[in-house]
Order: sequence, then structure tokens, then C-alpha cells
Amino acid sequence: MRNIYIAIILAMGILSSCDQLLDIEPEFTQDAENFFNTPQDYERALVGAYDLMQTSYLSIWIGEIASDNAIAGGESVNDSRGLHEIDNMTHGGVNTELRDIMRFNYAGIARANYIFEHRDNLDFPGKDQIMAEASFLRAYYHFVLVSYFGDIPLVVDKRLSISEVTASVRTPKIQVYNQIETDLRNAINVLPWTNPETGRITKGAAQALLGKVLLYQNKYSEAAQVLDELISTNQAGYALFPDYATMFYLINENSSEDVFTIQYSGLQGGDYACFVCLQGNPAVGFHGIRLYNGPFYGDGNSYNLPTQNLYNAFDANDPRRDATLLDIDAFIAAQPNSGNISYAVGGGGHTGYYNNKYIKRLNERGLPDDDLTSPLNYRVIRFADVLLMAAESFQQSGNDERARVELNKVRARVGMPLITSSGNQLLQDIYRERRLELSGEGYRFFDLVRTGRAAESIEGFQAGKHELFPIPQVEIDLTGGNWQQNPGY
Amino acid sequence: MKKILWFCITMCINICLYAQSFVVTGVITDPDGDPIPGVSVLKVNSTVGTVTDLDGRYTINASQGDQLRYSFMGFESQTLTVGSGSVMNLMLQSDISSLEEIVVVGYGTAKKRELTGATSQVRGENIEKMNMPRLDQALQGQIAGVNISTNSGAPGGTSNIRIRGISTSGQNNPLILVDGVIYDAEGLNALNPNDIESVNVLKDGTAGIYGVRAANGVILIETKKGTLNAKPSLNFGAYYGVQQTARKLDLLNAREYAILKNEAFAAGGQAMPFNNTSLGTGTDWQNAVFQDAPIQEYNLTVTGGSAKTTYSIGGSYFGQQGIVGGPKANFERYNARINFTTELAPRVRLTNVLLFTREQSSSIPQGGIGSVLYNTVNAYPTEPIFIDGRYSYLENVNDIINPLAQMANTYNDTWVNKIVGKEEISYDINNQFSLVGRAGYNYALVDSKNFNPLVWYGPGKFANSAANANLDPVILNIGDLAIERGANVSESRNTYFDYNLEAFLNYNQTFAEEHRVRGTAGVSYIGNRSEGLNGVGFNIPNNALDLADISANQAPGGYLNNVGSFQSRQRLTSVFGRAEYDFKQRYFISAIVRRDGSSNFGVNNRIGYFPAVSGAWIVSEEDFYNVGALDFLKIRASFGISGNDQIGLFRYRGLLNGQARYVFNDLLVNGAAIGTTSNPDLKWETTEQTNFGLDATFLGNLDFTANYFIKNTRDLLFQPEVSALLGSYGAGGFPPVINAGNVLNKGVELELGYSIRRPSGFNINLDYNVTFLKNEVTSVPQGLDFIPGAAFGVGGSVATRFQQGFPIGYFIGYQTDGIFQSQEEISSSPVAQPGAQPGDLRFVDQNGDGVINFGDDSDRVMIGSPIPDVIMGVTLGMDFKGFDFSANVYAALGQDIIRNYERQQPFANQLAYNLERWTGPGSTNEVPRLTTGQTRNTVFSDFYVEDGSFLRVRNIQLGYTLPQTLTQNLRISSVRLYVAANNLVTLTRYMGFDPDVGAGNPLFAGVDNGIYPQARTIMGGLNIKF
Repeated sequence: MRNIYIAIILAMGILSSCDQLLDIEPEFTQDAENFFNTPQDYERALVGAYDLMQTSYLSIWIGEIASDNAIAGGESVNDSRGLHEIDNMTHGGVNTELRDIMRFNYAGIARANYIFEHRDNLDFPGKDQIMAEASFLRAYYHFVLVSYFGDIPLVVDKRLSISEVTASVRTPKIQVYNQIETDLRNAINVLPWTNPETGRITKGAAQALLGKVLLYQNKYSEAAQVLDELISTNQAGYALFPDYATMFYLINENSSEDVFTIQYSGLQGGDYACFVCLQGNPAVGFHGIRLYNGPFYGDGNSYNLPTQNLYNAFDANDPRRDATLLDIDAFIAAQPNSGNISYAVGGGGHTGYYNNKYIKRLNERGLPDDDLTSPLNYRVIRFADVLLMAAESFQQSGNDERARVELNKVRARVGMPLITSSGNQLLQDIYRERRLELSGEGYRFFDLVRTGRAAESIEGFQAGKHELFPIPQVEIDLTGGNWQQNPGY
Repeated sequence: MKKILWFCITMCINICLYAQSFVVTGVITDPDGDPIPGVSVLKVNSTVGTVTDLDGRYTINASQGDQLRYSFMGFESQTLTVGSGSVMNLMLQSDISSLEEIVVVGYGTAKKRELTGATSQVRGENIEKMNMPRLDQALQGQIAGVNISTNSGAPGGTSNIRIRGISTSGQNNPLILVDGVIYDAEGLNALNPNDIESVNVLKDGTAGIYGVRAANGVILIETKKGTLNAKPSLNFGAYYGVQQTARKLDLLNAREYAILKNEAFAAGGQAMPFNNTSLGTGTDWQNAVFQDAPIQEYNLTVTGGSAKTTYSIGGSYFGQQGIVGGPKANFERYNARINFTTELAPRVRLTNVLLFTREQSSSIPQGGIGSVLYNTVNAYPTEPIFIDGRYSYLENVNDIINPLAQMANTYNDTWVNKIVGKEEISYDINNQFSLVGRAGYNYALVDSKNFNPLVWYGPGKFANSAANANLDPVILNIGDLAIERGANVSESRNTYFDYNLEAFLNYNQTFAEEHRVRGTAGVSYIGNRSEGLNGVGFNIPNNALDLADISANQAPGGYLNNVGSFQSRQRLTSVFGRAEYDFKQRYFISAIVRRDGSSNFGVNNRIGYFPAVSGAWIVSEEDFYNVGALDFLKIRASFGISGNDQIGLFRYRGLLNGQARYVFNDLLVNGAAIGTTSNPDLKWETTEQTNFGLDATFLGNLDFTANYFIKNTRDLLFQPEVSALLGSYGAGGFPPVINAGNVLNKGVELELGYSIRRPSGFNINLDYNVTFLKNEVTSVPQGLDFIPGAAFGVGGSVATRFQQGFPIGYFIGYQTDGIFQSQEEISSSPVAQPGAQPGDLRFVDQNGDGVINFGDDSDRVMIGSPIPDVIMGVTLGMDFKGFDFSANVYAALGQDIIRNYERQQPFANQLAYNLERWTGPGSTNEVPRLTTGQTRNTVFSDFYVEDGSFLRVRNIQLGYTLPQTLTQNLRISSVRLYVAANNLVTLTRYMGFDPDVGAGNPLFAGVDNGIYPQARTIMGGLNIKF
């Protein structure tokens, strides 16, 4: 029996030492709580915060499809059903695309806040610039959210824990806008006009975004001031690209017209399982012509199809019409061997037009699946937009003359007759010019809403409801059901 | 003995009372001719009886016409009628289904009659007979409470083993131990079913001896062993068979296709694509894709033993080609095995097990959108297979490619080398104590190679890797560099190493002849380490398979090439104990406790305690028991708590393993981002299981077992969706793993075993088992309505969910109520259905608000569940004078399947049910109109859900053993020849290829994307024993 006791005691001894065997560390990876020890750590975290801007494909879609500019399209009404509902103004609290907007932009905010949370760990030269870029990114993500959903929980300088989520409330949008403005002004103060590394956020990008943020709040004189500073100082040498028709080609990227651009690359393959993982711009392939077999263009998923209404908005001699809308049948008819060129119509709708700015062209494709991997950048704010925003801000703050100057710069680039109107007519002309200049780029819906013209322009639009998108119901539930849904939903 | 003595005396007195009777004597022997002492000899319908003495001899008084019943534990009972002779000798057949059968339980064995838990066993011969490539396929329908569903019928395809329902949205695989060595369910391909001695399944709380890994049940597999003092016995087995598809889908032929497409395009306001619809039958893509494919196996085993040593050595080859893909979907397996035991010293025994496997497999895309069969179903019949000597392009359909071209360009090979072994020393210290120490290991080296040549499937196909039909490479611009992207080859080498070190002490003592106490105490340490290295090399010269190796890559400057690696570790330290007591072999009670420490959790919750208690009462042993027909009756009950720690590694921590990638200077730049959000309080899932059971034997040859179980799983480990505010949804980011949600499984299992052996030599065995199961999610994480599962169609909405009050993975969609026959009907309908036109499906307004809401869930309801209500299996065996016949039938009833292999594209081919479409008022109330225009007929509704119930004859076999007179001169002890068929008949109403549609993830079960069907196989084989 003694042997048995010895064995048992031995076993107990093994037991207590065994628990130490469980203390194993993950290998070759860093722990989130033990980071920010070198300047490179800050830089790497910043890249992580930039990453989420590449989900802008949703903004290009929704900003057009929700408006009178485009229909959802696609293979069937099931194909991205959320977009079809937005198209029909029947969208509600269950909408994958709107939920993605919320998820992706808050992920961007969390990644920026991760840097802010650890801003005091280390001091080093160049840290100011990293923090300034992070400020800009946080402002951009907040701006997307506030323009979609209105009041949104404002999260700054730290990551939320699970237990804090249920205590969150929807911060009034004025406070969100204040934070956005603060972040952007901080960025403007630090960022340089140019950065040798293309794709980096610059001072001009921050000024342009601030101008837009102010304009969305109808703060016209402040907007005029900020945009004027950008246009007048203009140390980055921003200018309108001379040829509107080829401006959206890959070879003309990162040109003098690009003030704020989201960069994409075709060098990483992609699949449909993870859109947020992509490095390419999926909007481009999705805008492609369904089953197209012919020259110049690649085939795609026939999403976000421009409407006849948009086509008709252009003067026949405006070169921007054909640069904005691809009239597929006219294009094919103009080709040699047009009988050999074919394409198909998707079950999600057909207008005869395709988004000709962001569209898959044969020589601009990325790695497979090239519906997802287009290297075409999203030009979030072009210099033309800066000029039109300035025109609108000046007009609204009583400076018609300056407004006409900025407006006519844009008109002159495409050889359209100059505008001489003033007062409300001038304002209407500026609004019209925004549509002609910027259609297909994801701003139409928000322009209509902020200028109070949505109900008259968009079929099914109910004033007092559709100005904001509904908060995804599941997001309300996940935070304990305390948030009030937007009115009307 | 006292009892027997009294019994004898009583009997003698009785005998004296029968004056007319005479004395009958005889010797009872076993099949080897050795006498059996203690056999009970009873005169039927009387209390007269006796038992045999040490020489197997008995004496009893009987009259002519009396029936004598001979019974002895471990042997088949027999009844003989007394004739005129006074000598009645008898050979008793050993009874394989008796209660004395040894069942393997955790860290020991037990006789079946002594079990207190719900344990089932399948003997090796019942697995062998099935001639299935994989062990788990052979087990389908053989064990009550165990549901096996198939992920793919392709060679090397995997199955899912679910013991007593689905307990979690995460890992549901049971713990599998082969001779005590941990084996993962995915790796079951490596086992040769012929090497199995027995499969033992611990289903209830008594599996808790395996603690934090036991919540999904435990399967203990024993491989074949030798026996002491036995001559070498050599077994050779072989079979060869031909497989073919059991079913082809009923698709439109060219003429029907053209007519229906014209109609659909016209309805969509487009030009009709076919001017001439007299196109005949056109291309039958299924005929071109399906082929007959061989399957074969050869194996050799030598078994035997000396006075101190036993051995069983085997080797085998198995080869199977695919009914789709042929050699491109190939699986080959080579096994070598040795099981060796020897007495190192008195009372010290060494057991050595070594299993080596080499697998070579090739596979084609299967089971999803873009798989070969998905393309086959959707390819249209007006396109020939070849045009101008090349594969046709199917240009009218997006993302659907020529399935034959796809197979021809697929080169996807995997090689597995696996060694599983165990060294065990057992020391019988004295009559009460024995000590066992063992080390087990499972090492697998998995190599794979995937060659992606430059291919052109046609204009605009997403799968194209070339720039054009000339197979020119795509040119990529990186900054100012222009780089050709040629053929590539990706290779990987992964190693998986599991090891366990265990020591345990067994105690067994009987006090005062009636009180038996047994105990087990032990420690266990389980470790796991895996590593992998992978790389991709581009620009393989000449687009050639024979140069497809990373070493041959010609990528300029190494651009495009890529490398990766992974490594992981996990550990489990445990202490366990079991105490058992029984009184008079009549009352049994057992208690188990296990303490587990798992490295998958943080220090806050690393240690868990898992107890279980169980008891049994053999009612038929009681003195008062007096039910003649019911020879044996036992009642059991058990309750136990076990856990599940299978959630991946370090999920409690926040690691910087998210994806942080952006583009600066036109180049990809990597940064750092948090992957999974941390949750330091993470702990294991807990399953509480209560089981009530009953075992009975009627008339000596009908065994009956019943179990009722309630299995409650709490604190489910999963990553539910969390609020966007947490920022978890960046690339490579995941929500924290949390403990939330409960699942309840309740069920009844019945097992019946019947065997009869006629003196004429006609024997029948019949086993039947049935399981009724109810699965329900009883709670989900706070603030969450459901966890979404599989999507319907392309880019479609979520069709399956994990939601409170419903079975796991239930289907949610619109309920239909026929077809709108006319515009008038639509206008006058009290329910507004936006966009409805005559011929469209009429949906049911569930919330009664007078409108069908397509933007939210208010009109969507449960329209199906992938979980069968009832599963059952029947195994029948008969033999007579050298002939033997066996059959195995499996049925699963009450589950549903989502028909998700129909591509909703204008030119995709369609199933023939569309011929019965709506064409005008009154034409049909079943199938909606066809149109290429916008329609809501394609949203997920019960129109796309089918009853998946099926009954399948899994195996049917007829064999003949040559008479020994023919073979013994050749020193062959037996030769058996047989013909067999697997999956010969399947009865189902399901339209798809195969109703056995499984998925590893329970939220994707029952979603048929064009599953690779299980083949129907006709085979012939032989077994030779020397």
C-alpha cells in the first residue's frame, strides 16, 4: 500500500507543476496591449487606420443609387438586396450595405483611436504628422457616419470595451461635427502641402474635407473661408486636369486635380468572401458591363446604372455627358465589327447606361478576381469639387461675383459657356453644375438632401424620413436597445 | 456457489417426483470442443433443472417430448427436444451480442452488463462488411444517437459525426481516441476500416472522464490485436468495384431551354434569343461530366501470439477515383500497422501500437458556387462541349464556366504521411492494483501542391488567369515596372503533432464476496503543436505541369511570389478519478471527477472541474423478479457535466494579427491592426447531460436498449456579432469570443438486437436502432436576435440562422401561398405585395399588416430545418450453408434542404420542373412564371426548400464460403467470395443529386450548392484465411 500513497503524492506533485505548462505565449505575433514602443509601431498602426478608407465603394454606390442618378442593377433583385431597397426608397432597419457602412467606419475610428489611446507612450520626431493623419482619418470616418445616420455615438481617444457598449448613446450630430472640425483643424495645422509618398493625406485634403464638412452644416461663411485659403494659397499646385474625358483613366491618377484620394491597388487578388480585405476597388468591376465581350471595357456586374434622367440633364454638347455615362448600345454601334460585340442585361434592371468614370477597362485590371481588384483610385474630393463648394459657399454668403469665378473655372475646363446669373438663379446653376461635374462619384444623394431638393427629385423620397438612413436595427439591439431609431423608420 | 447448490438440491427433489421419466445425460462443449462447466440445463415449462460439472457433463431426468433449454452466459441458448435416446451432447455457439461483451470505456474496460452509462459499440466485422472508404461512412446508421452526414461524396471527402445532436454553433466534433491516442475527426481518412476491432461511443455524462473535451461525446476506437497462444493466422481481403452516379438531375434539353428562354426574355421586355427552337436535345453536360470510376482495396493481416506475446500486423492499399473528375478526384491510401504486446517481466506488459498511413489525393472544386457540378447544372444545353477544337466558352452566362475545361485545368494534389503510435506499460502490482503509463503521439506531415496554369475559359470569366485566348499572361504595372503574371504554383508543407502522456492507477477489490469496489485515478498531459510553411511561385515556364514547382519559377525580381507560415500550440493538463461500487453485481454506482487546465483560456478561467455520477440496477437479479420472457432487465441513470474548449488558440487575448494594408506609392504597405478583440474572462462551454436508460433481453435472443437524454449546453463559445462601436469589423478583425447562448438537445434512442441460430445452420442477426431528436437554441447573446448563417443565391440574403426558440441552422424566408393568377387577383388581394405580377409567387403576410415587407424580417418565418427528426438504421445478416447475405439500411427523416444550385441568370440552364411554370390564369399554382425582368420570385422562400428525408440501402452483400473440403487440402482455412453494392437504392423526394447534405458548420447544413454525390458502387471481393 505504501507504494500507492507514494504514487498518489507523486501524481499531486505533477498536477501542480502541470498548471505552469499552460503558460504558453503566442509565437511570432505582438500583443495588442504591449505595442507602441517604437516609432515604427505608430506608423504601422496608422496604416491600419488608413485601411478602412478602402471600403469607400459603398459610398460610391449608395450616394448614386439613393439619388435620381442611378438604379441598383446587378444579377437580380436579390443581388445586394439592400441596394435595391435603397434604390426604391423602401430601405429599413435590416440592410446589409448600411450595416457595413456603420461597421467599417467604426472600425476605422477604432483603429485611429487605438493610436490616440497610446499617444503618450513615446515621443519622437515625426509623431506630430502621424497624429495629424490619424486625426484626419478619424474625422473622415465620423463624417461618413454622421452624413448617413445623423446622431451617432461619438467615440474618441480610446477603444470601447464590451461592457461600455451598452452604455453608449447617440451623440447629437452637432457635437460629432464639432469633433470632426477639431480633428480636421488639428490636421491642417500640422500636415504639409505635399508628401513625396503618394496616397498620404496632405494639408489640402484636410482643408477640402473641412470645407465639405462645413458646407454640409450650412456654415457657408466658414466654409468659404477655409476653401478660399485652399484655393488662394494652393502651395500644392492643385489645378483642373485639362481633359475631362480621360481624367478617370488609371494613367491620370494622382494628378494635380486630386485633392483627397483613396488609393487602391490591383496587386492583391481578391474573392467575394471578404470585401473589407480587398486592396482593389470593387465598385469599378461591379460597375462593369454584364457579360461584355468587346473592345476597351472589361465585363462586370452591371451595378449602379445611371438613369435616363441623368443623361437628359446634360447639354448635348457637354463633353462630361459621355465621360460620365456610357451609352452602351451607342458605343457598340460605333465600333468596327459591332456585330461581334455582345453584352447581357442583368435581372436587377437595365437603363442602357453604365458609370463611365469608375468602370472596368481592359487595360486597367488587377489580379483575379478582377471584378474586385481594380487599381482605380476613388477621387473623394477633386479640385473641381473644391471650386464648386467654394462657389456655393460664396454665393450663400453673399459673394456672387466670387461664386461665378469659381463656378466658371469648372465650366471653362470643359468648354461650356460661362454662367452670368446671380442670386438664386446662380445658386441653382451651381447645384446643376455639381450634378454635371460630379455625377457617378457618390455625392448626388447627399447634395440633394443638404440642399432640400431630395423630395422633389427622388421618387419615393419622404421628407422628414429619408434625409437620414435608418440605424441598422441589429446595431440598436446590440447596444441594449437604448438608441432611438431615426424618424419614420 | 451456495445458491447453485441449493438450486441443485431443489432440482433433485423435483426430479424424484417424476416417476415416468428417464435419465438423460450429455456433455456440453464450446465450438472448439472443450467442455463448458456450469451450463444451466432446464426443462422448459418446469422448475426442473441442473448445471454441468467441471467436465461439462450433466444428468437430468426427462420424458420423451420434453424440451431442454441449455444456457450459459457468453453463449447462445439452445433448446432441444428429448427423443428416445438418453445421451444428448451439444455444442453451444458463443454469443457475440451477449452482456458479457467487453466495452471500452475511458481508462479501462467494462462488461456490458455492468455499464452505468449510455455506451454503444460497433464490432469491427460490422464496419468491415460495409466496404466503405472511411470509418465514419461505415458507421452511418449503426449507432443510436450518432448522426453522420456527408460533406462530399468525392474520394477523400469528409463526414460530420454528431453525437446526440448539435450542441454548439462552433466545434461539434466528438473527441476521438484510437487506442488511446487523440485523433482528429478530419483525419479519419487515414484509418483503414479493416484495421478496426471495435468502435465504442460514450454518449452521456459518463464521457465526462474526458472532461473539457467530452461535451460532444467520445469515440474510442480499438485496432485489431493478437491473442496469446495462437498460431499465426493470415487474412487476405480484396475487392474491386465500379462506381457511378446514382442520380442525374432532370434539366432542360436544348429545345425546352430555347422555348423557356424565349418566354422569359419576352416577359422581361427583351428580344427573344432563339429564332429557332427546334434544337433537339443539345448537350447533356451531366453525361459528359459523370463517369464510371474504379474503387479497390487489398489488405493483408497476420495475427497470433505466443505465451507472452501477441501481435497483429497488417498492410493495405485503397484506391478510389471520382465519378466526377475520375483521376482528378482521386484518393489513395497505404496503411501499415503493428499492434504488439509482450510481457517484459512478470506482471509487466508492454503494448506497442504503430499505425502508418500515406494518402495521396487530388481534388476538383466541389460543394460551392463555382464548383464543377454547379457549373454542370447551370451550363446551357445549346452550347456544344467543344467548339473549333477547344472547350466552349458558355459566353452567355457570367461566372459559369465549361465544367470539362475546369476539370482539365485543375491540378490540386495533397500528400499526407501520418504516424500514430502508442507505448504503454501496465504493471499489475498485486491483485487489487494495477498501474498504467503511456505515451501516445500522432504526427502528420501534409504536403500540398496546386498548379494554376494560364487558362482562358472565355471572355469575362472570373476564373481566367490568362489575358486572352492565346494564353498571354496578364501584364501588371507596379510603379513603372510592367510585369508578366504567368502560371503559378502554390505549395505548402504543414506538420501537426499531437502527443499525450498519461498515467493511471486502477483498483479492484471485492469485500465479503458481495461488495466490489473499483477505482481509477490518473493524470494526463496533452499537447499539440503545428507548423506550416507555404509559398507561391509565379511564371512557371511553358505553362507546363511538368515544371510546376516553386523552384522553377521565373518571376522577374521575385515580384508576385509570396511566402507564409503559421504555428500554433495548445496544452491540456488533467487529473481524473473514478470510483465504482457494486453490491452483489446487482446495484452499481459510479462517480467521476476530472480537473482540466486548458491553455485556450486566460488565467482567470483556465481550470475546470467536471463531475459525473451514474448508477444502475439489474432488476432481473432480484429474488422477487419473475418475468419469464424477460431474461435480463437493467435500469440506468446518469448525470454529468463536461466541457468544450475547441475555440482556437489565444482567443482570450487581443493580438495584432488583423489585416492592416494600404497603398502608398502604388505599392502595398503592411501595418498593424488588432485581430480578435480580447476577452480575458473567456471560459469553456459546459454541457450538462441527464440520461435514463434501460437494457433488457427477451427470450435469450432479443436485446433491447432504450435511452432518454436531456443535454443542455450552456455558455456557448462563439463570436456573435457585436456592436459596430467595438471596431471589430476591419480586415482580419473579429469580434471577441464570448460565452453566451444555450442549446438544448433532447432525444430518445432505441436499439434492438435479434439473433437466432437454427440447428439447421440457418442464422439471422438483425439490428435496428432509431433516434428521435429535438434541437433548440434556448438563448442567444444579449442584445442579439440571431447569428446569421448561409446565404441564398449569389449576393443573396441570409437564409439560415442560429436563433432562440428554433433549431440550430433553421431556414428563414417567405412562406408562399400559390401563384397570383391574374392582375385582378393581385388588385383585390387584401395583402399588398410590391412588384407582384400575374404568375408571381404569392407570399404570406405573417404579421398581418396588409403588406409583404421585403425590407425587414416581419414577414419571414421558419420554413425548414436541416436537422432530421428521426434517424434510423437496420443491419441484417443471414447465413445458411456457406451462403451469407447482409444488408444495411439508413434513413433520416424530417430534415429539409435548400435548393441553392440554381444560378439566377438569364441564360443559365434550369431544372425541368420549370416546364410546369405558370403560363396563364389557371395553368399552375406551383411554379411561378419565367422572366428575365425584375421579379421577387427569386427571394428566398419555401419554393426553394425541399423535404430532405431519405432512406438509403447503404450496403447489400451476398457471399459464399467455399466448403472446407475443397480448401483444407490447400491449407486454407476459409475462402469467401462476395458481390456487394453500396448505395444501391435511395428513396427520397429530394430533387438534387444527393439528399445526404452535411456541413461542418451547423449553420451551413442542408444548403445544397450542388453537392458531390455519393457514388453507387457495384463490387466483388474475396476473403482468404490461412
